[in-house]
Amino acid sequence: MSLSPVTIIWAGVFCLLGIGLYGLLAVRNLIKVIVALQILVKMAMLSLVAASYSVDKLALGQSLAVMVMVADTIVAVIGLALAVQVQQRLGTLDISELSRLRK
Amino acid sequence: MIMSSWLIVLIIGVPWLGAVVLRLVDDRRAQLQHTLAAAFACITGAVSVALLFFSSGEVTLSLPLGEVFGVFTFVPDAFGVSLSAIAAAIGFLAVIFSVDYMQGEAQLGRYYSFILLFIGAMVGLVLSGNLLLLFFFWEITALCSYVLISFYNDDPNAVKGGLQALIVTQLGGVGLLAGALLVQANLGTYQISTFLAEAHTLPVGVLSLTAFGCLFAAAAKSAQAPFHYWLPGAMEAPTPVTALIHAATMVNAGVYLLARFYPAFEGVPGWKTAVVAVGSITALIAGIMAITAVDLKRVLAYSTVSQLGYMVYAIGVGGVFASQFHLFSHAIFKALLFLAAGTVIHSVGTRDMRQMGGLGKSMPFTRAVFIIGSLALTGIPIFNGFWSKELVLESGAAVGPNWAYIIMLIGAGLTAIYTIRMVWMVFYGTPASEEHYHDAAPFMRVSLSVLASGVMVGWLLVGPFGQMMERTLPYHHLHVLTLPELFSEAFRGAPLTLTIVFTGFALYLLLRKFTALWDQFDWLVRFADLDFGFSWLSDRFAGAVQGVAESVRVTQTGQLNWNIFGLVLGLIVILAVLIVGAA
Repeated sequence: MSLSPVTIIWAGVFCLLGIGLYGLLAVRNLIKVIVALQILVKMAMLSLVAASYSVDKLALGQSLAVMVMVADTIVAVIGLALAVQVQQRLGTLDISELSRLRK
Repeated sequence: MIMSSWLIVLIIGVPWLGAVVLRLVDDRRAQLQHTLAAAFACITGAVSVALLFFSSGEVTLSLPLGEVFGVFTFVPDAFGVSLSAIAAAIGFLAVIFSVDYMQGEAQLGRYYSFILLFIGAMVGLVLSGNLLLLFFFWEITALCSYVLISFYNDDPNAVKGGLQALIVTQLGGVGLLAGALLVQANLGTYQISTFLAEAHTLPVGVLSLTAFGCLFAAAAKSAQAPFHYWLPGAMEAPTPVTALIHAATMVNAGVYLLARFYPAFEGVPGWKTAVVAVGSITALIAGIMAITAVDLKRVLAYSTVSQLGYMVYAIGVGGVFASQFHLFSHAIFKALLFLAAGTVIHSVGTRDMRQMGGLGKSMPFTRAVFIIGSLALTGIPIFNGFWSKELVLESGAAVGPNWAYIIMLIGAGLTAIYTIRMVWMVFYGTPASEEHYHDAAPFMRVSLSVLASGVMVGWLLVGPFGQMMERTLPYHHLHVLTLPELFSEAFRGAPLTLTIVFTGFALYLLLRKFTALWDQFDWLVRFADLDFGFSWLSDRFAGAVQGVAESVRVTQTGQLNWNIFGLVLGLIVILAVLIVGAA
């Protein structure tokens, strides 16, 4: 059985999904959480392109991916800015410490 | 656009614009706020009267909003224009009344802007021809009612009453939303006219669900049993608000809903019986509670609940015209009664009737208009309540189950008893204090006189009102009356009802003389004070909901990893369902 490029891309999508989810579930460092989130967004972008290729609407998928890039940059910037603030005010990046806000 | 579309834009746009403007005016400029509110309400009232001459059964204004919402349409048919005229006209009178009543209160901007928002929403509710749009307006009126009940937000009772009203009416709104979604799912449209035309093609199960969903919504909104307890709690609102929202307009929305969809629902098995049962039981228990209450506004609130019971009952026996006519009369005389009661409360400073008495001497004007309203409420000719109540009872006698008709006759007697008791305790008898109270202020007098003359001559409009309904409501097949027909119809049943009413009067005077006899009913009084157990039931229900919420609170750990776990789990479940569904 030969692997077509699309199949390989889909395999990549699922790998990224697994890595991203694992990161969100297991990691406690806020910076690493943001990295995991970024991996998930990359997964979404990749799957957009792959899906658009499968239905023969490549231009649509690519333009959507560019839009995701823009939104994603903003998310990353705000997330990292938050991380800096958390570090400065609470002196830690451990997200389980952040749940103190609840009390 | 044609003339009537412009009128519809204006009648919703003007009060909503006013709501925004009033919000922007500084609270220190009270005089400007009073003037602006009166001006906006006056324009709305004028537009609503103009709209009466442009009634039609056709869609007049439509806003296409794409696939999900469908087309938002406005239809100025007879229900729509007459109810919007009531809302806008009584809204205007309530605002005029407020100029004196709310003199010197803080935060008038909030007060007036929500009243104007309410007027716009109520008008939109009755004019909308799209179920989803109707639901939106329905919820906006509930919001305004909540905000205005809790207007004195430093008073815990007012906050509690407002929340209770909000929760109960929202709960009812779920029934309406469910009905709207069911209609959309089965007919592919939210248009009310399409629904009325094609209701018979729906599966019986779907139609029954819709019908009972709407009955649920109507019962919650119109304070019918078992949801009636929110209306007495709503009496914490400033009195002009009570007169407008909780007597003349918003509480009628439930009755309006039932009347509007009557052609679609009348064939649903058991629906009419359920409507009759809800209406008659409400009329009875609210009548009993009105006899035992000592808070002036609460008596009027129970009386409103009871009269709404009459309207619901009328729809159950097929008298849609009678029901709408009673709604029209009731809106006027109950607004009059509430505003007159507001005048009394404003000068005496309490709502407790035991601390009143003998006020007739110092407040002759208020006494006169209050008695006019009371005579209409009890159904004494020639006041408007007489004609409409007779019509309701006549349609009940002709069709309905006998037990319900007898309950409604007893209700008429109870009305007589609590009305004479209320008038007696407030204006006659021995004064509770020597103080001389001032009578109604000038602006109050204007509102009260207009409403009082409406009570005396409003019923003369029955002919044009009926013609308009016949012309613009193609699905209802109404049995409308002209003025001479109304005469013969009303006087046919009048001897019986008037006998009952005067027996009620006599009974009260008798019971006053022989207090020992009154004590015999002590158990009933105590039972009625407990609201026949309905508020207990609602408190238990609220407690149970709170308990569930407390126990579910454990899941909110604030741990990010835990939340992600929940998300992934949800995703897996959805995927599994999709895969199983596809297979």
